[in-house]
Amino acid sequence: MTGKRVVITGMGTINPLGHDVESTWAALLAGRSGISKTELFDASTYPTTFSAQVKSFDLAAWLPNAERHRHAGRHCRFALAAAAQAWKQAGLERDGSLDRSRLGLYLGSGEGSLDFDHFTSLSVDSWRDGRMDATVWAELAFQRMDLNREVEQESNMVVAHLAAEFGVRGPAFNVLTACAASTQALGEAARQVRRGDVDVVLSGGAHSMIHPYGMTGFNRLTALSVRNDQIPTASRPFDLTRDGFVLGEGASVLVLEDETRARRRGAKVLAEIIGYGASADAFRITDQDSQGAGAAAAMRAALADAGVGPADIDYISAHGTGTKQNDQVETRAVKAVFGAHAAKVPISSVKSMLGHLIAAAGATELITCVLAIRDQVLPPTMNLNVPDPDCDLDYVPNAARKAKVETCLSNSFGFGGQNNTLIIRRCS
Amino acid sequence: MPERRVAITGLGVVTSAGVGIESLWQAMLEGRSAVRTISRFDPAKFPCHVAGELADDFSARDFVPKDYRKAVKVMARDIEIAVAAADQAFRDSGLATAGTGGQGVAIPSERLGCNIGAGLICSDLDELGAAIHTAVTDGKFDIRKWGAVGMNNLTPLWLLKYLPNMLSCHVTIIHQAKGPSNTITCGDASGHLTVGEAARLVARGEADAVVAGGAESKLNPMGLLRQNLLRRLCTSRNDAPGAACRPFDAQAAGTVIGEGGGLLILEAMEHAQARRAKIYAEVAGFGAACHPDGIDVLQATDGGLNLAAAKAVADAGIQAKDVGGIVAHGTAVPAEDRCETEAWHKALGGAAVVEKIPATALTGVVGSLFAGAGGVELAVAAMMLHTGIVPPTVNFQAPAGGGGLNLSAQARPAKLRYVASAAFGIGGQSAACVLKKYEP
Repeated sequence: MTGKRVVITGMGTINPLGHDVESTWAALLAGRSGISKTELFDASTYPTTFSAQVKSFDLAAWLPNAERHRHAGRHCRFALAAAAQAWKQAGLERDGSLDRSRLGLYLGSGEGSLDFDHFTSLSVDSWRDGRMDATVWAELAFQRMDLNREVEQESNMVVAHLAAEFGVRGPAFNVLTACAASTQALGEAARQVRRGDVDVVLSGGAHSMIHPYGMTGFNRLTALSVRNDQIPTASRPFDLTRDGFVLGEGASVLVLEDETRARRRGAKVLAEIIGYGASADAFRITDQDSQGAGAAAAMRAALADAGVGPADIDYISAHGTGTKQNDQVETRAVKAVFGAHAAKVPISSVKSMLGHLIAAAGATELITCVLAIRDQVLPPTMNLNVPDPDCDLDYVPNAARKAKVETCLSNSFGFGGQNNTLIIRRCS
Repeated sequence: MPERRVAITGLGVVTSAGVGIESLWQAMLEGRSAVRTISRFDPAKFPCHVAGELADDFSARDFVPKDYRKAVKVMARDIEIAVAAADQAFRDSGLATAGTGGQGVAIPSERLGCNIGAGLICSDLDELGAAIHTAVTDGKFDIRKWGAVGMNNLTPLWLLKYLPNMLSCHVTIIHQAKGPSNTITCGDASGHLTVGEAARLVARGEADAVVAGGAESKLNPMGLLRQNLLRRLCTSRNDAPGAACRPFDAQAAGTVIGEGGGLLILEAMEHAQARRAKIYAEVAGFGAACHPDGIDVLQATDGGLNLAAAKAVADAGIQAKDVGGIVAHGTAVPAEDRCETEAWHKALGGAAVVEKIPATALTGVVGSLFAGAGGVELAVAAMMLHTGIVPPTVNFQAPAGGGGLNLSAQARPAKLRYVASAAFGIGGQSAACVLKKYEP
């Protein structure tokens, strides 16, 4: 590893368990579930009737000028609030020396949701002889569809809103590598700071797929839990009875900064990002490589980048989705990388409580790693009651645990085989 | 540790001018537009009827190994374009991959990366419509019926057709690229951003080669609707498709949608030289920026392109006067072309400097390619350095409002050592790359 040291100086989150970092952390340590019946639309006849939704959220509580973002989509509003928290914690509003052309954005944000009602009504009303009639569709579409509602679906619009809110003029990226997006964004953002391209970067992710077509897509893939009779405990990473992930939504944004600069301005340093690794399974679009070779490659690359060995890792924040395949493959990959040490490293999946925030998952999980280091406590994997012989590591079952935590590794694996791993440690 | 030099050793381009860089290059040299009347659906009720539509018989089936052909069924058009462009790029590079049948010089899977820019992929309206039609009660969509039965009429893999990371994922699978893999979704800036990022992967030694660029097709009713709502399309030349898209021209009246993509093979210079590869050019500099006004999508902005281009020049270790050629983004939306011209002036030290630098733009040939644009523009920049020719700007006859870029309707020979290319898009992000003539 060469270049500048990269530290985290601010964090913010909007997620199913809380609208800020501290309340989220308290809920996770208490083992609370953010999963409930889907209220955002009528999912009562879907194979999966529940999800992990952000509740009673109001952007105006976080931004004085929320009106400026009136066109922003749901996930974008989450991102704005999360970024406002991170910005404030980092003390950037008081930082007169911040050069906006050296302030960057590197997000892993999802697409905005379709204008479902209009889109669907158009489809119904333009259907002729077994196919869509493009001329009828066009006539109706120009009457019904709204410019902003359409444009805000492009995934780079979250970047646009954050740039507007914080006056960003530096490099701006959005990556969308499915479930790995915000971990990848943070890793690449750290690279930019390390290389000196930017002094400060807002990085993280935002996503909401809790809409009729998002749930349809995952239900058709049979990726979601269908435990409709036990909703709060449906997400069961590493448990033998796990039957899929629970779709969540939210956003998390972190401030990454050149360490020297952060020290100079007296910012409170929360942790240091010391390693990042990325790989591709190059296996199948539907499945992970069963031996976890791609996942292992990402972890190894991150360890090498950090210049640490398996024995230096005190905690692994698992991708741990709760699908049959992921948890088995991830366990194999950890064993392959950590060898004899694998049994000694505590691993947990906060998705057991938060659900799967898709593009926003990795950033949210990295925040929990920072807090684990701060408070010397590990969040649990809830709902882990029936051991799976294929998942035989220490998953911190059902209760938070005091532990000595200096260095954490966080995994995210995207649908289609894009794998990313980050390593952070306490900043000395 | 000094960073490694990065060579461009393969060009894979898919546009309405054809598959392969040669078909685009020839069309540019001949001054021939490949914009035509839309045939994929009936555009009669849209204000704009023309687009850079791919050839009728285009299919990714022709660009994948036999045992991968059935996977083409789960590829949206955007993915098919990326898959075809990757095939072309690898074949052109002479690197052997699983996807090209092993002809050429092998590269270990773990040392091969991928970074493909993508846009918002539109679900096929007929496919989704057919399923929606099974969930209608009294003429209205019935979500309970949808949840219980309707959705089952969609193929189980439906979602995977439309995830933007699937461009990269299919390409990594076909070519067994197991190194770092990324998907950047930043509108028109995506292609330059992926190439810049990929060049850094190679430079710092995380991969020996990376396939990078972007692909997109907005040529569907949703895409056409959205660009119309943004008031970006030319609606006055439906009877003359080839003359519709006129970058920087006095008669410019908006852009047209193009489908396409460009992927480049970026390779460590020492690796390329050791295998005696054809080297088109070298990636010398990269810069990116954004503009806070990007949320106002009806207001043209250059997305901070002046900063991005200036950074790319500085990153290349050169001065503005060293830039010998420009591949402009040239959307042919008059306000955007004006913003872009000003941005180049700011970036390179004023109108007097920029007016001396021969420039070209290719939207007159292929239309606006969105996330696919950057890779194609950089492939053209690489060809300029490789051949010493600045191709004509098709449909450019007289400069709009005082000009400001040195464009020509004729091909021009030029002694080129550095060529700059940049792009910017809706939302306010921009990126630029400086390519350098290959000098051993």
